[in-house]
Amino acid sequence: MEISLNVNGAQRSASTEPRKTLADFLRDDLELTGTHVGCEHGVCGACTVILDGRAVRSCLLLAVQAAGSEVTTIEGLALDGEMNPLQQSLWDSHSFQCGFCTPGFVMQATAFLADHPDAGEQEIREALSGNICRCTGYQSIIDGVLRGAERMRQS
Amino acid sequence: MKLPPFDYFAPSTVDEALDLLAEHGDDASVLAGGQSLIPLLALRLARPAVVIDINGLDELSGVTQTNGHVTIGALTREYVAEESKAVADGVPLLAGALPYIGHEAIRSRGTVGGSLAHADPAAELPAVARALDAELVVRSRTGERVVAAADWFDGYLTTARQPEELLVEARFPVAPASTGTAFEEVARRHGDFAIVGLAASLTLHGGAITDARLAFAGASDVPVRAVDAERLLAGQSPSDRLFDAAAQQAADDLDPPADLHGSAAYRKKVAATLVRRALRAAAARANREGGGS
Amino acid sequence: MAEILAERYTGASIKRSEDPRILTGHGRYVDDIKLPAMLHAAFVRSPIAHARVTGIDVSAARELPGVVAVYTGADIESMTVPGPDLMASMMGGGNPIPEFTLLATDKVRLVGDPVAVVVAESRYIAEDACELVEVDYDDLPPVASAEVALDPGSTPIFANLGDNIAAPRKRKDFGELEEVFASADRVAEFRIDVHRHQNVPMEGRGCVAVFDGESGLLTIHAATQSVHITRMAVATRLGIEPDKVRVLSGDIGGSFGLKIGASREELAVAAAARGLSRPVKWIEDRGENLMTSGQAREESFDVRAAVSNDGELLALDVKMVIDTGSYPAMGGMVPGIIEAMLPGPYKMQALGFESVGVVTNKAPYVAYRGPWASETFVRERILDLLAKDLGVEPLDIRLRNVAERSDPPASMVTGRPLVGVTTKESLERVAQLVDIPAFRRRQADERARGRHLGLGIATFIEAAPGPRSPESGQGLMGMERMRLRLDDDGVVTLFTGQMPHGQSHQTTLAQIAADEFGVPFEQVRVVVGDTDVVPFGMTGGSRSATMTGGVALHGARQLKAKVLDFASHLMEASVDDLDITDGRVEVRGDPSSAIAVAEVARQAASGQSGDDVDGNLEVEASYDGGEGGWSGGTHAAIVEVDVETGLVKIERYVVAEDCGALINPAIVEGQIRGGVAQGIGAVLLERSAYDEDGNFQSATFMDYLLPTACDIPRIEIEHLETVPLDADVNFRGVGEGGMIVAPPTLVNAIEDALSPFGVRIYEQHLPPARILELIDAAG
Repeated sequence: MEISLNVNGAQRSASTEPRKTLADFLRDDLELTGTHVGCEHGVCGACTVILDGRAVRSCLLLAVQAAGSEVTTIEGLALDGEMNPLQQSLWDSHSFQCGFCTPGFVMQATAFLADHPDAGEQEIREALSGNICRCTGYQSIIDGVLRGAERMRQS
Repeated sequence: MKLPPFDYFAPSTVDEALDLLAEHGDDASVLAGGQSLIPLLALRLARPAVVIDINGLDELSGVTQTNGHVTIGALTREYVAEESKAVADGVPLLAGALPYIGHEAIRSRGTVGGSLAHADPAAELPAVARALDAELVVRSRTGERVVAAADWFDGYLTTARQPEELLVEARFPVAPASTGTAFEEVARRHGDFAIVGLAASLTLHGGAITDARLAFAGASDVPVRAVDAERLLAGQSPSDRLFDAAAQQAADDLDPPADLHGSAAYRKKVAATLVRRALRAAAARANREGGGS
Repeated sequence: MAEILAERYTGASIKRSEDPRILTGHGRYVDDIKLPAMLHAAFVRSPIAHARVTGIDVSAARELPGVVAVYTGADIESMTVPGPDLMASMMGGGNPIPEFTLLATDKVRLVGDPVAVVVAESRYIAEDACELVEVDYDDLPPVASAEVALDPGSTPIFANLGDNIAAPRKRKDFGELEEVFASADRVAEFRIDVHRHQNVPMEGRGCVAVFDGESGLLTIHAATQSVHITRMAVATRLGIEPDKVRVLSGDIGGSFGLKIGASREELAVAAAARGLSRPVKWIEDRGENLMTSGQAREESFDVRAAVSNDGELLALDVKMVIDTGSYPAMGGMVPGIIEAMLPGPYKMQALGFESVGVVTNKAPYVAYRGPWASETFVRERILDLLAKDLGVEPLDIRLRNVAERSDPPASMVTGRPLVGVTTKESLERVAQLVDIPAFRRRQADERARGRHLGLGIATFIEAAPGPRSPESGQGLMGMERMRLRLDDDGVVTLFTGQMPHGQSHQTTLAQIAADEFGVPFEQVRVVVGDTDVVPFGMTGGSRSATMTGGVALHGARQLKAKVLDFASHLMEASVDDLDITDGRVEVRGDPSSAIAVAEVARQAASGQSGDDVDGNLEVEASYDGGEGGWSGGTHAAIVEVDVETGLVKIERYVVAEDCGALINPAIVEGQIRGGVAQGIGAVLLERSAYDEDGNFQSATFMDYLLPTACDIPRIEIEHLETVPLDADVNFRGVGEGGMIVAPPTLVNAIEDALSPFGVRIYEQHLPPARILELIDAAG
């Protein structure tokens, strides 16, 4: 099937089998390898992208289901090559280590903060509890997101 | 793993979908939110020859309140139901259960109808439907029928839906005045399936319980009403001793499964604890003006 | 010798140079590699734990459109060189080496054992084809527990072993064991079990293998903790000269000990790539990772403890059984390390240690962050149990038993000197941070209200890298090598065999080199992950802080000396008058004399300075660890146990640790928190579960549960003042400690919470159902 969708502000088209997941389509067909695959059964959150304004697990969507939609991946966040305030804050806070879970966390946090800009620590922990990190013990990630939220409130 | 091959259809009207179901029947799986179906496909545990993607059927989406019911289109995303004022005001037990469903990203895609049609006994919505005697409306080329929740859940991941039928909406009765509800669950982690979950509702009148509902998730191969415990509560005044007795009765009547996350004995214990906690919470809410959750 | 510069990077939480690419989705992990004509591999895997393979038919699979090749175990044998498994030889602890084929041929030994590999245009098609391969299995009696494996009547999993003993029973006594037991006031007996759990990095195993028929060069894009060890493994198995194998590694999504050498699947993929002369990629999925990549920690301990009436732990007599799973990995090596470490930082007078390792139909026992961790679990559990018997605070029994720092240092009865240990200080610091008497009052109040709080403490030391051996005078972990070069763009490039997979070496090593050499942090580049250009090395064993930090420090000084020597000719100044600051060589006190190091390098490269001047601004440095030293610390946890549901909440978690001098505090703390999180996961959530037929029951993330942001509390970390042992290098490793000591910390806290019920805990895995069982059983 030929599908067309808007990814990170650009219209992209490609041919795909219906059974191909959105995660695999982004990575293989569109060569956007920033979105990672960690479990392929919707638990770890590494594959999280934003689809039509909502954070979703791209391993639980068929690519064909995203036809006509707007998708934002980790590659689409930086503005003119500059990391956005959330990304900057995560850098400042030493939020990550191996980086494999990172894109999923960043996209989930982005979606969450857009709807809950004043969220506190416990809400942020719950909002991110569907993303698994094996390296950090989460504290540095939470700190980075809190910092990012503060930065975004100020600007 | 990668998904196995299947023929894929994305009908743009309900009639088209019904035609496809009539044609393919048992060989087809309906794809709504995909949060349950796609993992099954990815693990190659489900091998439908045909997948019918109903996400284009906008008419099946939406929340309306009419005639003492809140009607939720089957394709309504769980997050939409979560944000719905009609649900919050009219069906507080459902509103209380929705945030327990997985995580936000799951609720972004998962649908109310999908959860009820998939009928995982450890899921939250089947227990709520059972507690409230919700009605499930299915449609086929030959017409529509309404199935009471008590008749809907047939067995593990099995419902009364016939292969040629499509679940189109679920109707939840609006909670009467002076009703308090509570959804409680014990899970290994925040957002996990319930090891045991409980949908509880108490309606009070003049200090006595006029209606009591207790429905468990995770305690059987279907959601289960604790009918004997409900009978114990009927007509009585709320008290800790009453709730303890109801808890004991409810646990005694269960024959729960055992798995990696808990033995049958453990689930019974937890069930009793949930009954105590949920009844206390529901009673407190019922006592606040006008009930609520 | 040049002055030591005021440090400005070392010791500071410099932002990571890894992060810009990580945070923007531009990391390069092995699954991100896409090469022209690349194919994808998938494995046909046994559904049975133990069986003979009596037939295999791949014809239908070969016919499937998009399938390029299907290789059975026999095919792969003909494409590779048989011989003892490299990892078994390296890490097997000198035990008899089982004979087996790379992919299963005549029998399968665990659920998921690969019997064939399909190579196709896509992973989707490869998996479709796998389902078309027909394999005939003749069931054999499963060996799914140590108990069964120890039975001489159990069916041998490896024919050449004759039985299911992976590591024959051996025993060693240290100190006057008999005497100490005979004269002890009391002998207490315990049986302690640690359950099977596993690494579970977020990125599984995988590789892309590429063979160039013309040059005969085999390139492996790997995710590995050592490109050189992977090269050795591949070269040996494929029968190629090592210099015809190049291993490259980019970003790695975690490993924790899993990704060392080359797995059977990766070797088969390399052979397939050579056979097909097309790149072949294999990326394991989560099911494969959980089921077959490797597991760890399944050990049981029968312990007798000789104890004095006032709580001195005089001696331990330990019998250990380790379940090393099926194919050999690291399991054989673990008992020896446990034996060496069991006395810990305590005054124990004697140790008897006996161990046996068994083979079972389970995934191989691989290295997992602190592979010897059970020694701390056993010892710290026993101390708590003894404390309870005596009615003494857990803190106090530890203070009573801890070896004081002395000169000369006390030694563990198993040999290693406890030089520089700050265990006592860490115990005392934790006691200050957690006001124990106040907690006990609160605990009593809450108990009266039906809430069950508990406090647990545990302490540990870790040989990171450990002290220099006084007898042998030997370096601690061999030699660490590094090549350092000043490039003509002014960048100091470090070539290291370290292979970071979350440890942030590209930042920490640059911090040290920048300070020592005298350039800004941004002017140091750390090169990893290419066998063509980096020296031998491995990331693991908590070695890099000392070994690589040390070689970076000394190497940067050597490079600086060389540069200054060249510059002295260029600038016609005495070497002793020159310094490098902010990337400029200058005559001290005369800023106008400054020349950028880039300019110096360009001049050196131009060769104009003449034959008698060394213009090759490169050094090969090596470092044996100096005086090394112990890392260690004390952890404390306050928990609340809901005795109606068995759920445990961690209210507070405190760490007082000593890992020597800190290179980058934020990175150190990240390592500690990550290790603690894995320890918490092990106790509350994680178990690699098999039934008695060897069927694997935790093959998805719905059953193998990892801790989330709602499960790991804020972890308070205090860094203790360390005892410097070396003039320059006092960085010590910190990677493994958290995972070693968190499990006993948490179990001690849970037992404390449940003490009104008389619960005693002799195991490490405490899911909610188990906690309720323990309460019931004690009542």
